[in-house]
Amino acid sequence: MTRINLVLLLALVASSVYLVRVSYESRRLFAELDRAHSEARQLDIEHERLKSEKQSQATPLRVERVARDKLAMRSATPAVTQYVTYSVAASAVGAKP
Amino acid sequence: MKAVQRMKPHRPSGSAGGNVRSVMYSTSPLLASKTPPWRSKFLVGLVGLGFCVLVGRAVFVQIIDNDFFLKQGEARYARTLDLAASRGRITDRNGQILASSVPSQSLWVIPKEFEATKKQRQQLARLLGMTPVELNGRLDDSPNFVWLRRQVEDTVAKDALALGIKGLFQMREFRRRYPEGEAAAHVVGFTNVEEHGQEGIELAYQKELQGRNGTRRVVKDRLGRVVEDIGESVQPVDGQDIELTIDSKVQFYAYQRVRDAVALHKAKAGSVVVLDAQSGEVLALANYPSYAPGDRRNLSGAQLRNRALTDTFEPGSTMKPFTAALAIDTGRVTPDTLISTAPGRITITGSTISDSHAHGDLTVAQIIQKSSNVGTVKMAMQMQPREMWEMFTSIGLGQRPQINFPGAVTGRLRPYKTWRPIEQATMSYGYGLSASLFQLARAYTTFAHNGEIIPVTMVRNKDVPAGTPVTGVRVMTAKTANSVLEMLHSVTQAGGTAPLAQVMGYSTGGKTGTAYKQEGKGYADKKYRSWFVGVAPVSNPRIVVAVMVDEPGDGKYFGGDVAAPVFSEVVQQTLRSMGVPPDLEVKQQIQSQKLPAEEESF
Repeated sequence: MTRINLVLLLALVASSVYLVRVSYESRRLFAELDRAHSEARQLDIEHERLKSEKQSQATPLRVERVARDKLAMRSATPAVTQYVTYSVAASAVGAKP
Repeated sequence: MKAVQRMKPHRPSGSAGGNVRSVMYSTSPLLASKTPPWRSKFLVGLVGLGFCVLVGRAVFVQIIDNDFFLKQGEARYARTLDLAASRGRITDRNGQILASSVPSQSLWVIPKEFEATKKQRQQLARLLGMTPVELNGRLDDSPNFVWLRRQVEDTVAKDALALGIKGLFQMREFRRRYPEGEAAAHVVGFTNVEEHGQEGIELAYQKELQGRNGTRRVVKDRLGRVVEDIGESVQPVDGQDIELTIDSKVQFYAYQRVRDAVALHKAKAGSVVVLDAQSGEVLALANYPSYAPGDRRNLSGAQLRNRALTDTFEPGSTMKPFTAALAIDTGRVTPDTLISTAPGRITITGSTISDSHAHGDLTVAQIIQKSSNVGTVKMAMQMQPREMWEMFTSIGLGQRPQINFPGAVTGRLRPYKTWRPIEQATMSYGYGLSASLFQLARAYTTFAHNGEIIPVTMVRNKDVPAGTPVTGVRVMTAKTANSVLEMLHSVTQAGGTAPLAQVMGYSTGGKTGTAYKQEGKGYADKKYRSWFVGVAPVSNPRIVVAVMVDEPGDGKYFGGDVAAPVFSEVVQQTLRSMGVPPDLEVKQQIQSQKLPAEEESF
């Protein structure tokens, strides 16, 4: 009888220690997960910021100024544009195979 | 204890009751009296009762009424975290961002904990762009909490915190950013520091853009780390993105052109509206003067005003095509009917209406082309006031545009029963009623859409692809609309009032307008408003463009001189970016001789 009790006691102690360990581990992992989540959110926000930053570097105003001043480009007028109808080209592609 | 040990029994005990032993505590005769037996029982009872009360209280506190302490306990480890929802973006029809939320830092201070040397204070003040006096004044506002500066750049916040001042903290907030800046300011509007819409689309779609903040209950440990979720969390719902029908390229170009025109003609202000003539989508709505929505210090009312929607004016000559259309539609005239406009004057109930110069006999088409007041009045006087009122109402005058945008005005159109004959006459050429530029642009979709006026939209409906043609409300027959369109086309050609509205490669049609500005009860002398409303290309109309320039001050004031060139440039750019093939043969030569413009009557 005493021996059984002793075995049970040992089992109890072992299981308790295990429980403590597991719950410690779970909390640690949870904290890590939480940190990862907030980092993801942070990166999302940063992404959004960079996107809008990128666009403010590519506003029509800036694009036009750079194209005109730095690259010496002019906007195309119908006078210098050759218009092609692509219905012919499309049927030609279709006829190929 | 020593005293007790030294005590010696003085008298034999238990002399009275026998079975209850009385204890001798001292040799003091006062205490030597025998203790009655009920007393110790009573004491035991009291102690027992005390225990019962304690146990009862413990049971009550821990089992029956445990809310309070549970709450107190929880308050010491559980935290409610706010999950901020981000405000939706506003994009143009191609997905270009017009407004989005970006993080920024706000600096705050607990003044009673604030400790800084004089040098630190100076540095901080310089970083925040204040004088040290201003900074001190701000710190005196409240002992507990003061915003030092909200929504500063990340770098500024970092530098400020690097000074190592005690009592200075930062908090992350969101700030609206408007990449397109002042070009789209009037459409997009802006928010206040709490991200509540104040103007434009930001205000009109506040509810959709806002989103809903979420919350989350967590257990935090000593180090402030989250170790467990408790209870249910409410996920934040981000605000919806709003997609406008605006094309940021067209918008920018329109803004740039009207800005240049205002500068060139020393004008006070200007507006441009570009509508898609097939789908009723607003492609651009620009006003000058404008402002940068991100930096709203020193703003004036003139900058904030969205003139295209909120300013009304008498539409003047731009109403003549509608009068002519009504006359044709009711079979009173044909485009080729000759009407005598000589001697350039007509008197109605004592008031005289005149043309800028006499023309003689003109066809209806020529009346529109040369913008003759007399001819228009002669057509109008054959009609019933009710007919004219119905026409004006059906093209949206005197009605608020069906567009979800703050500040859109109705304009003025008096009921026909109160019209006097002279008023009917002046209304036929656009005086005595008023409309905004936006309403005018919409009215002209009638000519561009085979006689149907179409509903206008500013926000994309995501269920239908962009540019889907819509059906409108029929105002006149398609035949009438097309013949008026031909007349509008002739306005931009030799002999018309606006040859400057011609566009290389595309046929255009439109109508100029010039008017004295109304001031108080009468008309201001030498203060004009010029505008041009037109359609392009005439063969298959794709866009309607309305341009208005307010108080041109360099001597030129006719719509054909001031507004028509802006129209021409905006049309050119818009049609090119829409990929509309040209409908005119382009002559590969430079026109050295300018076509003389016909002087219009107003």
